[in-house]
Amino acid sequence: MKRRILLQFLFASLAAIPVRLRGQAASISAADQVRLRAVAEVVLPGEIGAPGVDRVVTAFITWARGYRAGAGTDYGYGFPRLRKLPPSPLSAYTAQLDALDRQARVQNYSLADLPLDQRRALISAAIVDAKIERLPARPDGGHIATDLMGFYFHGIEANDTAYRVHIGRDTCRGLAGSENRPAPLTGGNDANL
Amino acid sequence: MPTFEADVCIIGGGISAALLAQKLAELRPGTSTLVIEAGDRLFDTEKRWQDRLRSLAYGENPWPGDVIPDQSAEGVISRTMAVGGSALHWGGVTNRFSAEDLRLQSLYGLAVDWPLSWDELERFYCEAERRIGVAGEPGPLDEDRRSEPYPMAAMPLSWNLRELKAWAESSGLPFWATPQAKNTVPYDGRSECRRCNTCEICPTGARYSPDETFRRLLASKAITLHDRTLVRRLVPEQAGGASPRLAVAEAVHRDRPAEPVEYRARVFVVAAGYCWSPHLLLLSASSRFPRGIANRSGTVGRYMTGHAFIGAQIELDAEIYPGMNDQHSLISRQFFRCAPDQPYVRHDLRIWESSVGREPRLKDSNGRVLMGDAVLADWRARAKRGAARVRAYYDAHPAADSSLTLDPNATNRFGDALPRIAHKLDAATEARLPATRRHLLDLFARLARQQNGKILSTSEGTYLDHPAGGCRMGTDPASSVCDSFGRTHDHANLFVVGAPTLPTGGCTNGTLTFAALTLRSASEVAATIGR
Repeated sequence: MKRRILLQFLFASLAAIPVRLRGQAASISAADQVRLRAVAEVVLPGEIGAPGVDRVVTAFITWARGYRAGAGTDYGYGFPRLRKLPPSPLSAYTAQLDALDRQARVQNYSLADLPLDQRRALISAAIVDAKIERLPARPDGGHIATDLMGFYFHGIEANDTAYRVHIGRDTCRGLAGSENRPAPLTGGNDANL
Repeated sequence: MPTFEADVCIIGGGISAALLAQKLAELRPGTSTLVIEAGDRLFDTEKRWQDRLRSLAYGENPWPGDVIPDQSAEGVISRTMAVGGSALHWGGVTNRFSAEDLRLQSLYGLAVDWPLSWDELERFYCEAERRIGVAGEPGPLDEDRRSEPYPMAAMPLSWNLRELKAWAESSGLPFWATPQAKNTVPYDGRSECRRCNTCEICPTGARYSPDETFRRLLASKAITLHDRTLVRRLVPEQAGGASPRLAVAEAVHRDRPAEPVEYRARVFVVAAGYCWSPHLLLLSASSRFPRGIANRSGTVGRYMTGHAFIGAQIELDAEIYPGMNDQHSLISRQFFRCAPDQPYVRHDLRIWESSVGREPRLKDSNGRVLMGDAVLADWRARAKRGAARVRAYYDAHPAADSSLTLDPNATNRFGDALPRIAHKLDAATEARLPATRRHLLDLFARLARQQNGKILSTSEGTYLDHPAGGCRMGTDPASSVCDSFGRTHDHANLFVVGAPTLPTGGCTNGTLTFAALTLRSASEVAATIGR
C-alpha cells in the first residue's frame, strides 16, 4: 500500500466517524489554515514536496476536528489509570499562530510571506521559548509547530519515508511476504511524498 | 425479589467462563447455563474498526465501555470488566508452562507441587489450543514435546524477527516463534490474521476473543447471559453443617440497584479471575462463615502469585524496520529447566523488534532544535543500526501473606469493600533475587556480544505479571481452597476455575494454562450436574 493511500485510509476512516461521536466540535479558521501551512513548510521534510505538505496539513486539521475532549483514554496495563482526553489542543493554536505572526511582522512580513530561512529561525526560537524538549506522541497543544511535527513524524508515512521502504505500520497488510525485506519506496507518487 | 434458576451459574464473563460454558454446552446439551457478568457486552464488531482507529489516532480506550468506574482494586493490573474480560485486550500469547512448574517442591524443595500431573495437564493444553486456535511451531527441546501438533502453522517470522533470530542464535541459544492465539489460516469461522499490529483490539477477529465465544453461545441459545449484573454475596444452605452446599448468589443489576436479584443453581462456578474470585469469597463472610465462603483453610486471598520480569533494549548491527509486526516475538524455553544441583533460576526469554533510540526527535544530542529535513537526516543516521527488546519472565514464588484483602476504606457504590492486592515473594525467592538478576543481566550481555551489540537500557518489572492465585488448589483442605478440578473443599457444588487456582505463577504467559485448567474443571462440573 502506498503511503498516500495509507494516510487517506486513516483519515477517511476518521472523517467517516459520525459527528455525534466526535464530541466537542472544534474549528480552525481559513486564516489559521494559511498560517499553519506556512509553519508546515518549515517543520515538515522537503522531500514530501508541496502536495505532501498540503496533505499532511489537511490530515492534521481533520485530526484536530475529530478530537473528543473528555473521551476515556487507554488505561494501560500494570498500573492502570482511568483518564480522559484533555481539552482540544486546537484552542491553543490561534494564539500561538498570532504570536508567530507578530514576530514576523517585526520583520515587515506576514508569517506566510516570511522567507523560509527567517521563518525557520523564528519557529525554532518559539519552540525553545515554549521549553518543549521532545516531539509529542500526539498533538497536545504545547506548540502548533511541534504538534504538527509529532503528528507527522510519528505517523505511518514518516516511518516509511525515514526507512525509504514500505513498512505500513499499523495497517492491515496480511501475513504473506512479511518474511521479506520491505519493498523500497519507488518513484511515481512516492517521489512527491 | 426476582429469582433466576439454572443448572449451572457461572459468575464472571472472561476467557475461563467462555471456555467453560462452551464445553458444558457440548458435554451436557440441554443444561441450563447462566452467565453473570458485572460489565457490559461489547459485541459491535463493526464499531471495532472505528475504535481501533481512534485508539491509534487519539489514544482513546480501544474498548470504550469496558470499565466500571467504581469497581476497582488497589494493585490490580487491568481495569477491564466486560463480557470477554481481560482477554478482550489480550496479545494472544499462548505459551505453556513446563513440567517443572508442577513439581517445584519435589524437584527443588521450593513452594508446593500442583495436585495434578504434567501428562494430565498436557491433554488439556491440547484441547485449549484447539478451542482457542493456536498457531505455533514445536520447539527444538525434547522436554517440550507435545502429544498433538499445533492446530495451525506458526505465525511467519517477519523480516525483523528473522534478522533477530540469526543474531540471538549466534549466542548459542535456540529461539523460535512464540505461539499465538491468532489465525494463520481461516480457523473456526474466523479469518486469517492481517497483521494489523493492534492485537489488543483485533479488528478482523483473527485473534481469539472470548466475546465471540459468548456471541455464538447466545446465538445457539446454549446459555443465558446477564450482563451489567454484579454478584455481591454467595450464601450457603442452612443445612450441611460446616460444609453446606451453596444455595444462592445475591446480585444487583447496575441499572436497578434498588432491586436485588438472586440466582439459584445446582452448581456454581466462580470464574471471575485472580482478583474478583477471591474477593467475592471474602465478601461473602457472615456470622456463620466469618472468614468468607470456601475459606475454612484461611487461604482464600493468600498466595497471590504471578511472575517477575527483567528486560533490556539492545542495539545491534542488523537491518531492522520497526513496525513490521511488533506484536510477534521470538521465544527460547532453554531456561525453563534448572538442574536440581544448580542455583535455582527458571525463566523464559523473548525478543521483539524495537525502535528504541531510533525514533524521530526534536533535539539532537547537542540540544539543537531539529525541523523538517534535519529531523529525517538525524533519524536516518540513528536508524542505520537496529534494536531489539528482550525480556525474561522469571519464576518467583508467593509468600503465604501475598494477599488480596478487603479494603475497608474503599467501597463501591453498593458499600461493598473493594479488594487490595499486595504481592509478596517468599523468603527463598527473595534470597535468590540477586543471583537471578545477575544471571539475566549476564544473559542479556551474552546476546549483546553478538553483532557489535550494545545494551542501551535495562529495566525491572515493578509488578507481577499474569497474576494468579488467591484460591489455590491442593490436596490438603487445610492449606488450599479447592482440589485440582477447582471444586472447593468446603462446598461440594461450588467451583473456582482458572487463574485463581494456580499455586504458583510459572515463568511465562499464563492465559493458556488458565484455559487448560478450566477445561479440565469443565468435565468435573459436567459430571457434578449429572449426579
